[in-house]
Amino acid sequence: MGERDVEMLRARPEIAAIDDDAFPDNTPLEGIIRNDTRIVRYRPGDIVVREGDYGNSAFLVLSGKLRVFTGDYPDDLLGRGSVEKKGLFAALAQIWQNSIIPEVRDKSQFSTQALRQESSKGSRARRRESTARVFVQDIPVVLNEFKTAQMVEGALFGELAALGRIPRTTTIFAETSATLLEIRWQGLREIRRFDEGFRRIIDTRYRENALRIHLRETALFSGLDEDSLSKVVDATLFETYGAFDWHVSYQRMRSSGQTGAQNEPPIARQGEYADGILMIRAGFARVAREYGSGQRTLTYLGAGDSYGLEELYAGWKTGKSVNLGTSLTALGYVDALRVPAQVLEKYVFPNLEIPPGPVVDGIDRTLAEDALLEWAVEERFINATQAMLIDLNKCVRCDDCVRACGSTHGGNPRFIRHGKTFDHWMVANACMHCADPVCMIGCPTGAIHRSQVGGSVVINDDTCIGCATCASSCPYSNIRMAEINDRRGVALIDSESGRPILKATKCDLCSTNPGGPACVRACPHDALSRVDFHHDTLGDL
Amino acid sequence: MDFARARTMMVWLAAGIIFDLLLVESNSVQILLGNSAELTGYWLFGIMVFLALFNLRKKLSMLPLGNASTWLLLHAVGGILALATYWLHTQSIWPNGIYERALAVLFYLTVLSGIAGYVVQRVYPSKLTQTGVEVIYDRIPGHIAELRANAEALVLKCCDETRVDTLGQHYLDTMEWFFRRPRFGFSHVAGSQRSRQWIRQQDANVRRYLNDEEKTYLDELTNLAIRKNRIDVHYALQSVLKRWLVFHIPVTVALMTLSVWHLMVVNVYAL
Repeated sequence: MGERDVEMLRARPEIAAIDDDAFPDNTPLEGIIRNDTRIVRYRPGDIVVREGDYGNSAFLVLSGKLRVFTGDYPDDLLGRGSVEKKGLFAALAQIWQNSIIPEVRDKSQFSTQALRQESSKGSRARRRESTARVFVQDIPVVLNEFKTAQMVEGALFGELAALGRIPRTTTIFAETSATLLEIRWQGLREIRRFDEGFRRIIDTRYRENALRIHLRETALFSGLDEDSLSKVVDATLFETYGAFDWHVSYQRMRSSGQTGAQNEPPIARQGEYADGILMIRAGFARVAREYGSGQRTLTYLGAGDSYGLEELYAGWKTGKSVNLGTSLTALGYVDALRVPAQVLEKYVFPNLEIPPGPVVDGIDRTLAEDALLEWAVEERFINATQAMLIDLNKCVRCDDCVRACGSTHGGNPRFIRHGKTFDHWMVANACMHCADPVCMIGCPTGAIHRSQVGGSVVINDDTCIGCATCASSCPYSNIRMAEINDRRGVALIDSESGRPILKATKCDLCSTNPGGPACVRACPHDALSRVDFHHDTLGDL
Repeated sequence: MDFARARTMMVWLAAGIIFDLLLVESNSVQILLGNSAELTGYWLFGIMVFLALFNLRKKLSMLPLGNASTWLLLHAVGGILALATYWLHTQSIWPNGIYERALAVLFYLTVLSGIAGYVVQRVYPSKLTQTGVEVIYDRIPGHIAELRANAEALVLKCCDETRVDTLGQHYLDTMEWFFRRPRFGFSHVAGSQRSRQWIRQQDANVRRYLNDEEKTYLDELTNLAIRKNRIDVHYALQSVLKRWLVFHIPVTVALMTLSVWHLMVVNVYAL
């Protein structure tokens, strides 16, 4: 960002209101503006954020008008389209319709992307405009048919999704030409940390918009009356741990050989006083206990889980201070709520119908029994909701699963029967449909998204521009960039770059085929299953 | 009882009931002085057609035709049922007549290859896991080439740095043979430890003639040989796992062809 832009931004009332002196010398506000923000211009109709997308930035409207959908609207408005299951005949027709050439696409499908044969200036210009962003067409009709609200200069949005690593809750598009300041999550975090006013604004918005509902849906607080719940809402603190782009720091940590709880950002330490319960809103955290010269993993927590309740309750019940029996570390990025002990003791514990379990004071399992859990946590497979787990003691390496996948995906399998192994288990390189889908962060067109039905992570081939952001982000290397061909086997070439057009490909759980994942059904030895490491009992696998 | 066990019991029970019914019906026909071979023959042919459908199921993985594991169970139990039905049909283990004997040979080959395939599929996967490495069959030549290149580079480096060619000569005389392609295939298939013993022996043969510096290179070379040996195990066992079907399917096709001809001839001339 240039000097003039920085000066212009500093002069704006929203930025000028931030207390410059509150920032330390090594993290000045000007440095944050320069490094963590950018000015983005949108044309009428351009979608700024889409409901369901994961984003790592917030937006401040500098000029122009935006519209936010406040009611229902069709998915195809967002460039996603709906996925329909094939009928039996359509599924069978794949036998003769599948080409021996892999990744064949209908050229006419890519009318908005320039191909070698369509190298006119017009098509290039059109490509620049149309492939970078998905846009709402015919704004007057959309405004007429669907409920929307206007957002004007000075409005800030997207900060809760960016800081909380949760999906965007609404869709916003430009009604007129608009200029926005995009603030990366790192910048947001620093501004929130050092500026009291900004922190108050964000926290108030979260309290007003989501916290009350979130607590009401939690078993611990569901029985509270409105007044008591308000007291809990007012006292709750927001905390984040670890890096947002945890996959980068994790890969760095792995390559340096420094893994394990002792190398992860601490949230709570064993033996410390519990000053409140921590409720995980997003991400994963490892619960561990000192064992020998290291930390032994007891379990891990995900969204909706809480930590420290047992100690606090035991302390309140006995009138003595009970220290934490375990430690808690961030497995990547963790967004948590801390409900202070005083509030719990006053409003929650006296009315608790089912008391929490006892404080952990020992481990009654052997190292061998916990080894698989330790491995799954270490490799971050806990993120999986549909990991492809192969029992190597049953697998005859026949590749029927690979062939079945290929036959349901135009001849090109969407996974590799290879991956990390532990004992006789292998987690193959197939999309795990993560609970925290890092791949979805930064997709410029929202092509990779969570399916409305079933919640699997799928890619809209039509809006994928082959930028490989998702493939680079996936910590498990489960997304492949594939060159696409026409029906004669000729690679489709981007006329602008002269390079083959790429599409991101990955397992979609056979979402368009009847009968569920073909790989599971095709295994004659029941060696292959899709597992959720968070819900399926590791010991039962 | 888990699903897989309950499913297995159900299929065996169904096969038993089918055979019992067939046996009763066959005896009834014989008591009435009829020809039970017609009944059992058609049943046998029907079972064989059903068994052959398993291969079709594999080709139609895009259709929701049930789990392949259920099909495999039906295929295996159905194969045993077919064998019992065959004996009921022929009333002997070894029939008379050249054509019938040709059919019997193909039938027994199909059954035996099927049983052999079933057994190796049960035994070999855990043996592959026990190697501690996991390799895709098609990539094995690449892995071996890489190990060979590493071994040759190591030996050349040893010769360059120590100015002695003892290890180099040893490599050319013996180890080069081992690294050239997969070795000890039959030993691995039979579960023998001969290859490991061979590697240890080659190490011992040359070690006494090496100085300390050369011995560190020999240690690395032996480690490469051990890794190559694990890949050889994969090559041998995965080859069996893949190739038994190359025998089973052709004899099945031949059996089906001869069976259809047998059926036509019987219908034209005997009934």
